[in-house]
Amino acid sequence: MAQTLEEAGHDLDDHDHEHHENLAHHFDSYEQQFDAGKLGIWIFLVTEVLFFGGLFCAYALYRNLRPEIFAGCSEFLNTQLGAINTGVLLFSSLTMAWAVRCSQLRQHKMLVGMLAATLSCAAIFLGVKAIEYSHKWSMGLLPAGLYSYDPLHPHHPDAPNYLLYISLPFALILVGVVGWLAVAFLQGDKFKVRVLMPLSVAAACFFVGIGLGMVLESGGVEGHGAVDVDKVAHVHQTGESPELVGAGEQAVEAIAPDDAELTGLELLARDKSNPGAQDALEALATQEEVARGTVLKSEETPMPTASETVPINTPKQAGVFFGIYYCMTGVHAIHILAGMGVMVWLLIRAVQADFNENYFGPVDYVGLYWHLVDLIWIYLFPLLYLIG
Amino acid sequence: MFNALEILGPGLFGDDAKALWFPDQASTYAAESDGTYAMILWVSAFFFVLVLGPMIYFTFKYHKPKGGKATSRVRHHNLLEITWSVVPCFFLVIMFVRGSWGYLDMQTPPEGTRQIDVEAYKWAWSMNYGNGAIHPELHVLLNEPTKLVMRSKDVLHAFYVPAFRIKRDIVPGRYNIVWFQATIPSEKASDEELDAALAAHKESGDATWNYDKYQITEDGYRYYDLFCAEYCGRDHSMMQTYVVVHETQEDLDAWIKKISSRGDTPPAEYGEKLYKLRNCVGCHSNEPNKVVVGPTFHNLYGYERPLQSGQTVVADEQYIRESILEPKAKIVQGYNPQMPSFKGQLSDDDIASLIAYMKSLSDRGETASDAAQANDSTASEGEAEVAGDDQPAAAEAAAN
Amino acid sequence: MATGAVPAQSGGRDAGFVSDSENYLKNSSGLLSWIFTLDHKRIGVMYLVGILSSFLAGGLLAMGIRWHLMSPDGLLFSNDAYNQVFTLHGAIMVFLFIIPSIPAALGNFLVPVMLGAKDVAFPRLNLCSFYLWLGGAFFFVGALMMNGLDTGWTFYTPYSTSTDTSVVMATLGAFILGFSSIFTGLNFIVTINTMRPPGMTWFRMPLFLWATYATSIIQVLATPVLGITLLLLIAEKTMHIGIFDPEYNGDPVTFQHFFWFYSHPAVYIMILPAFGIISELISVHSHKGIFGYRFIAYSSIAIALLGFLVWGHHMFTSGMSQVTVIIFSALTFTVSVPSAIKVFNWVSTMYKGSISLTTPMCYALSFIFLFTIGGLTGLFLGTLSTDLHLHDTYFVVAHFHYVMMGGTMVAFLGGLFHWWPKMMGKMFNETGGRISAAIVFVGFNMAFLPQFLLGNQGMPRRYATYDPEFAWLHQLSSIGAFTLGIGLLTAGLVLLHSLFRGKQAPANPWGGATLEWHCTSPPPFYNFKHAPAVGDPYEFANVEYDSATDNYVFTDLPRELVPDEHEPAPASAGGQA
Repeated sequence: MAQTLEEAGHDLDDHDHEHHENLAHHFDSYEQQFDAGKLGIWIFLVTEVLFFGGLFCAYALYRNLRPEIFAGCSEFLNTQLGAINTGVLLFSSLTMAWAVRCSQLRQHKMLVGMLAATLSCAAIFLGVKAIEYSHKWSMGLLPAGLYSYDPLHPHHPDAPNYLLYISLPFALILVGVVGWLAVAFLQGDKFKVRVLMPLSVAAACFFVGIGLGMVLESGGVEGHGAVDVDKVAHVHQTGESPELVGAGEQAVEAIAPDDAELTGLELLARDKSNPGAQDALEALATQEEVARGTVLKSEETPMPTASETVPINTPKQAGVFFGIYYCMTGVHAIHILAGMGVMVWLLIRAVQADFNENYFGPVDYVGLYWHLVDLIWIYLFPLLYLIG
Repeated sequence: MFNALEILGPGLFGDDAKALWFPDQASTYAAESDGTYAMILWVSAFFFVLVLGPMIYFTFKYHKPKGGKATSRVRHHNLLEITWSVVPCFFLVIMFVRGSWGYLDMQTPPEGTRQIDVEAYKWAWSMNYGNGAIHPELHVLLNEPTKLVMRSKDVLHAFYVPAFRIKRDIVPGRYNIVWFQATIPSEKASDEELDAALAAHKESGDATWNYDKYQITEDGYRYYDLFCAEYCGRDHSMMQTYVVVHETQEDLDAWIKKISSRGDTPPAEYGEKLYKLRNCVGCHSNEPNKVVVGPTFHNLYGYERPLQSGQTVVADEQYIRESILEPKAKIVQGYNPQMPSFKGQLSDDDIASLIAYMKSLSDRGETASDAAQANDSTASEGEAEVAGDDQPAAAEAAAN
Repeated sequence: MATGAVPAQSGGRDAGFVSDSENYLKNSSGLLSWIFTLDHKRIGVMYLVGILSSFLAGGLLAMGIRWHLMSPDGLLFSNDAYNQVFTLHGAIMVFLFIIPSIPAALGNFLVPVMLGAKDVAFPRLNLCSFYLWLGGAFFFVGALMMNGLDTGWTFYTPYSTSTDTSVVMATLGAFILGFSSIFTGLNFIVTINTMRPPGMTWFRMPLFLWATYATSIIQVLATPVLGITLLLLIAEKTMHIGIFDPEYNGDPVTFQHFFWFYSHPAVYIMILPAFGIISELISVHSHKGIFGYRFIAYSSIAIALLGFLVWGHHMFTSGMSQVTVIIFSALTFTVSVPSAIKVFNWVSTMYKGSISLTTPMCYALSFIFLFTIGGLTGLFLGTLSTDLHLHDTYFVVAHFHYVMMGGTMVAFLGGLFHWWPKMMGKMFNETGGRISAAIVFVGFNMAFLPQFLLGNQGMPRRYATYDPEFAWLHQLSSIGAFTLGIGLLTAGLVLLHSLFRGKQAPANPWGGATLEWHCTSPPPFYNFKHAPAVGDPYEFANVEYDSATDNYVFTDLPRELVPDEHEPAPASAGGQA
């Protein structure tokens, strides 16, 4: 195919270099090329919608089957952090749309800036996510097969420092980029400096996200901590969820909290005149109750054998919420990473001043992709964080 | 309503489904299923001829050497298109309606259907007739609706009896229901045939009865195949059992009684089988010092038991018998009163066997009450009318 | 109307022959020029090699299965090994062969040429699709070499989540293959939408392009759902998320819904391109315009859309509610109507045509026979009461082999023979080709007709061993399968032989009227210097046979201007496109 390009290009001299640059040989005009690309990216977005659609289907199915599990486990998610992430992504969509405009108007410097801003917002998002994930992992809030949350000891003492492990690649990237920037600066390579400076800022923003997350996570009420044994017993005797079978026969083991583990909430709740804290404590107790699952039985029960009157209590029931949570937010995060990668490529091309009013397709298409990623988060946030 | 078509279906092929290579129509809805099949076959054959006939004819009639030209330039004919779009729909609707009605019939068990629990697991079947009668073969009563409540212990399986024309997946984590009413009784083989088969089996030294070779069950009945029809792993193709249709209630009852009584098995061995089959093992271990939910059976018999009331009793036959029938009467200290009663679910012989088993687990098992135990066993052996053979099927069921 | 004049290519109405320096197969040489090619034709050829290799692998596994099943106790494998063999046979055939076959091997080559375009819309994405296919293939091979795969190609849970064979490896392979499929579909949709030449309105496109378009719609919409299903399966197996595995309070039937939501439209991905090929084959080799063009075009789109609504008919016995099951049955019947319309239209095309019993035509007629049987037997399975007897028996196995193999594979072979001269520039031995079609036809029927009877008798599928009463039908089927293998081998040898000993192919050996017959065989690497004039793709009146060169040439149709009463007679009457 190279031959045809030469064929087409050699007819013109260098002054028309820009005119036929970036027009692929198999297209007749810039317009056709742009239309084709636009249709292509829209179709790709449709496939992404269907891809995520499967996950949303799974979510709908299991939420419908076990609403109390979803409502209860949602308490473990920090709404503030989620809201911040939502705001950050929305802002990044703004900067991305602005970037498209810049590329159309040949505002190269502004374009670079906007792309850098979008990248930075994405990095902040990932930083906050890193905090959320590492915190949950240290609490054992994992999918069903790995679930190990213990309400009495919410933070596993021997848990490895997950945050460190997650941050390590990003730290390496930051160090690498900054180092490369320093070298390029010393060498006087203007192009590299113009590319690496914004990338350094973006890489650093990951840790801004971490910082934000750390500040907000520690102050949040997240449903861990010991519960008042009286409250628990009270719930057991009266607030049984309908799915429990035969529990009446079975005395539930009493939960004996360690006095040393009383949380601030617990202390507050001792003050009987503080109904808010009491309510919060009761909510926690209820959540504990529903986090323990039982096997659902259909109406058609065959002749009972001796073993079947013993209900099966398993904390794995909660794992289905977390399984879906990690799948949805994880796949979304992978898409954020992919988008960031493509944006780095765009940034490099922007520094090269590749885009103009005839050829700005790539920026436009990545913008569309980014808007979809943002939109998906807009759906994820209420469905995961704001239920119950 | 479909009588006109049924004339074409089974009528033309006769009642014998063999023309379509089907097995016996052994259930109430098998004939309708086959009739539907035949109807679809006729319609399909009609359209097949309608399409292929002209195709072959045109191929020969309009074959021209290279360079020949077509003699028609007609490229569309809306009326024709609409006709051959709409007319098939008419047939399709009939197929759909007849299929749905037949299906609905096959879904709804009539009132008062007797129920059998089916458990499927890799790679065998367990039919639970109640009261501890568990066997891999499926035995049902002629002309009586039977409902199966099916569950799986591990992966997907499916229940399929070709002769009944019924199939249903067995899904782990839920119960699936299927029902049928058998219309053809299973013949009983002549005594000579059965004896010959039993002799051959003994001589061959096979571990399990070879149904394919003898074409009868071990009790001498002809059978229908019951296949697993959902891939479940290595021995999926061997996960087969057999359906026997009993002509009379007495016949069926006799068989059930046969598989649920001890027969010649020694009491302690039968007791161990019951220990597993009736799931005592779920709460009581048989290992030293291991507590699952209730006390271990190891060294239980003959030892003193401190009760919650403060009393102390010795765990003798009476104590064990009472604990099985009235479990909340005497609770050992440190345990909860949560054992269910087995009244009505275990025969006297069963209880005696369990006691014999517990004795075998205790180093105080050889006591003076042995004599009474021996008398008990011989008495119950004399009562039960057993065919005189061993119980390989029951042993198989226990081995799961 | 095409005057057939490909300007600047040659003086007359025949494109002539291409020079080596422009022949796409020869214009650049060396391995790298193929590995990094952006030429859609070369990519198509690479796909062809890969796909035929996969077909060979899957076919050998099939021969293994049929040999093993000649005896009730199994002749060749242990139960475990047999389970792996049938699983890999299914997975390789479905994912590596049938789904990509026509779109990737033939479509990649033909779509731009039929459009008079220079390439597809996104050539680099096209190459990427090929490497994704290759990557997926490597994962399958990897799974084979590690612990194998024994779940059946359908990966039903909880068996797939509990077995210790290489499920993760294989599903990752299928996941990657899915993306290959999606990107190919995306490419074709954009190409057909934005790169049609002036004058080629939607209803002046060849039906192969309509079929490709409909297929691409399904590929783009359905395959992502497979992607997420497999991802969730991997997550279930590795992290136990608790969605499909009842051990963790998941539901196995949910997996089946997710899986079949893709896999049913997938069978339409398999058959729609085949329908497109048959439309081309029947009309060209009958030298008559296709009958009912619009109905065929619309029915392709109808099948694409309706195909998304019927996935539940794979699950009639799973325990779904009665209402659900009845709705799925009704919808299943609706989707059979468009296919029937096509078959009627093809036969009508042959009426009063000028039929040449060439190899492609033999395959096309074979298709109509075999696909009709396959489609009609689908009715038995869509009908609820009979399905309860026939589901998961050999009846189903026979049905899908009739439609997928008797349908898609036969159409693929027919298309391969039809466009082989165009793609490779060589004519194959006609006698050899027709013999291959005959052996394939006979062998196929002998292999799969007995299986319907086995199903009626109640013989379940995926059985390594079986009751002796089923033996003789199995043996008959196996003999048929070996015959079929011989027929396919014959076809392969005929085509291979043509590469070395075949006569040079003219531009239009069959007398087609679509744009690909206006360029040389093989085409130059740039396809067309300028987009050719677009005419009716099924107008054969101006396609004349030249017996001297055994080639068809394009002539002018006589054109007359209707004289106007008030104007003098026109000076000339001449063909102008």
